[in-house]
Amino acid sequence: MIKSKVSRLSIVFLSILFLSGCWDIKDINNRSLPLVLGISKENGQEYKLTLQIPIPKSDNQISRTVTEKGKTVTNALGHIQTNSENAIDYSQVQLIVIQKNLAKNQQEFRDLIKFLMGSEDIPSRALVAITDDNVENVLSNINNKLGVNASAIYDYFNKGTAWAPELFSTPIWEVYRSQFLSTKDIAVPAVRAGKDTVLVFEGSTILRQGQFIETIGPKDSQMINVFNNKDVKGYTENLGFASIMVTNSSIQSKIKMNNNKPYVTSDLRLKIHILERKQGITNKKIYEKIERLTERRFYNLLKKTQHSQSDIFGFGQQFQHVISYHDLKDWRYKYYPDLKVDFKVHANLE
Amino acid sequence: MRNSVKEIKTKFSTQGDFFIEEESYDKMSCYLIGFKTLIDLPKTKLYIQQMGESCTSKSALLGKLSEETNVNTEQLIKGILEGKLVIVTKDGKENAIVDPIVQNLNSSIGEPKNESPVHSSTDAFVEDINTNVGMLRKRLNTDRLCHCTYQVGELDKRRLSMLYINGKAPNDLVNKIHHQLNQIDSDIETIDDLNKRFEKRRLSPVSHFSATELPIQAIHSLKKNRIVLFMDNYPFALVFPNLILDMFSTENDRNFPFILTFMLRFFRVIGAVATVIFPALYVALVSVNPGIFRTDLALFVAKSREGIPLSAFLETIAMVVLVDLILEAIVRLPKSVGPAITMVGGIILGQAVVEANLVSNLLVIVITAVVIASSAVIGMQNSLYIRLLKYPILVLASLFGILGVFIGFIFTIIYLASLTSDDIPYLTLRFEHKGDTK
Repeated sequence: MIKSKVSRLSIVFLSILFLSGCWDIKDINNRSLPLVLGISKENGQEYKLTLQIPIPKSDNQISRTVTEKGKTVTNALGHIQTNSENAIDYSQVQLIVIQKNLAKNQQEFRDLIKFLMGSEDIPSRALVAITDDNVENVLSNINNKLGVNASAIYDYFNKGTAWAPELFSTPIWEVYRSQFLSTKDIAVPAVRAGKDTVLVFEGSTILRQGQFIETIGPKDSQMINVFNNKDVKGYTENLGFASIMVTNSSIQSKIKMNNNKPYVTSDLRLKIHILERKQGITNKKIYEKIERLTERRFYNLLKKTQHSQSDIFGFGQQFQHVISYHDLKDWRYKYYPDLKVDFKVHANLE
Repeated sequence: MRNSVKEIKTKFSTQGDFFIEEESYDKMSCYLIGFKTLIDLPKTKLYIQQMGESCTSKSALLGKLSEETNVNTEQLIKGILEGKLVIVTKDGKENAIVDPIVQNLNSSIGEPKNESPVHSSTDAFVEDINTNVGMLRKRLNTDRLCHCTYQVGELDKRRLSMLYINGKAPNDLVNKIHHQLNQIDSDIETIDDLNKRFEKRRLSPVSHFSATELPIQAIHSLKKNRIVLFMDNYPFALVFPNLILDMFSTENDRNFPFILTFMLRFFRVIGAVATVIFPALYVALVSVNPGIFRTDLALFVAKSREGIPLSAFLETIAMVVLVDLILEAIVRLPKSVGPAITMVGGIILGQAVVEANLVSNLLVIVITAVVIASSAVIGMQNSLYIRLLKYPILVLASLFGILGVFIGFIFTIIYLASLTSDDIPYLTLRFEHKGDTK
């Protein structure tokens, strides 16, 4: 028995000091902080991992790419860890670029997302993007551009809604969650290496429970934003005889069941600002045109997604209190193809 | 009775400033006894002479000069030590202890040296205990202001005064302190000696008293149900109990509009928290949990630390100690050398250390902010103990990162909450124990 208070305290203190393993702590300048993680598969065999790591030494921040291959992702990560000069700290990974051919294999893609989600090193807030291009090209593209910072890819996705309303981002946890949802599918941004800019936004890829469905263009992606009630402020549209900018949007939907078939009425209110117009064009004509254009775009997209049975708008979410939980599991296949949407757009001047 | 003079003479034979002078007035001849250093002799003689002119007899004169006449030798000796003039008639039959005209040994009321109040009266307490109590009485015209005096100590009888407002300060607290002060049997030289007389706080950085130089602050504390102690020859009022809010608020703030008062106090709280947490946060973020940073910030920090050989903990502790050393050195140095050291320490050293790539720019900014922040709180003793509190948190941060910072901070608060002075917790926000009028 240790009696004196001082010796007890000193034992506590010394064990804090010697059992904490604080000598393994690496200062921030001794860690490599990869910002982008690229994952691809070569010849359907080996995983190829590419990291974009900024080099903080110079004033003009440049970065380098590190590539390793491995039979599994863990394997490849291990190779990188072994061969790198510094400790690699994945806590700053902002974007995970996945090559399309990998995403097309549903089982592999699901496993990959599960691994990324479960990994303690990689933050689950990292964004996911899919590319047609060679992943290495996308990542090394930063170095070829003049005056671009190492954090360019991160900045690309964090411009703020008003600055790039068409662009949207999807974190890993949302992708992971979507695998278990039966009433909502998810879109992941699709990018490729640009000629003048680092990245080019190509639209989005629709994933149904981790399965690659199809790619839609940027304008269609915009519709998804609208239905998810995201701010589409700053979105511009060219109507031929005029061009407008959306300053505010709000959507209201009502649902009902008709003969066991879902029915939705949606009213989209757009506040617009007319940027330019040809002579003699009235406001009314502009309203009509933008309304017709948006409606047509929506119906096209709806038809497409109903055909592929992926509820990208999340209409199923709204039927949760109408259809029983058990039936909702089959929402995509049983109800969604029969969904009727009465979509009306009301444009108005700010 | 003549032998009493002899006795006094032998007792003080080793004292160079002791005097026995034979003096004869028309009605009597007598010995004047006392200390030259404490009594202004020529003026006192003149005073006695003038008094003697209007008196008819010896005893009438002595009676007029003093109320303490014909006392025994012991009391005479005590009187001499207290700086009084003792008059013994030549025949030794009569004596008196007279209040003489004293040598002025006290500094006059001046401006506060340790606190610099803005927008306020600028007189400060002085060494003389009577002046100090007088300063309070002058500002607080009430019969409810009670004043108890004590003389404590073994070798040196030091005078202590306790002041409180009857009906405001809690009675049991007043009684307790009265008891505690009466029990003192050793010399009281410093506040720490006094501190030990209250609850035991051997290793605590927090005193039982908050010292203030400003009469306004002392009066405010009295009105807020607290007790004020004075020590003779110590130009501070000691407010009991010391509460945490003394660090953040002073009565002077209220000379500004409310919103400005609030702002000032808010900044002091920020200052205190920043002092305790900032160095630890730096270490935690830079070495243990860089994942918390935003990407561009992380890259910036990584860049600022590029090529620095010391680990974040070592560089921080080195800088923090260095800065605390500089602060202490500036206090110790004569006023004429102080600015030179400030320049060498602050500017040249700071610049050199960064240019030599020994510590990062960011850390220098953090340290500077901390030094400034730690001075925002009221009272030097509070600023000092806050500076001390940052070290344990710094160590914890280097081991456990952000978690360590918060554990350290929480434990610091738990520790402060555990402190009590006479059962009054240090973290009491409002001291509202009203006593009843006796």
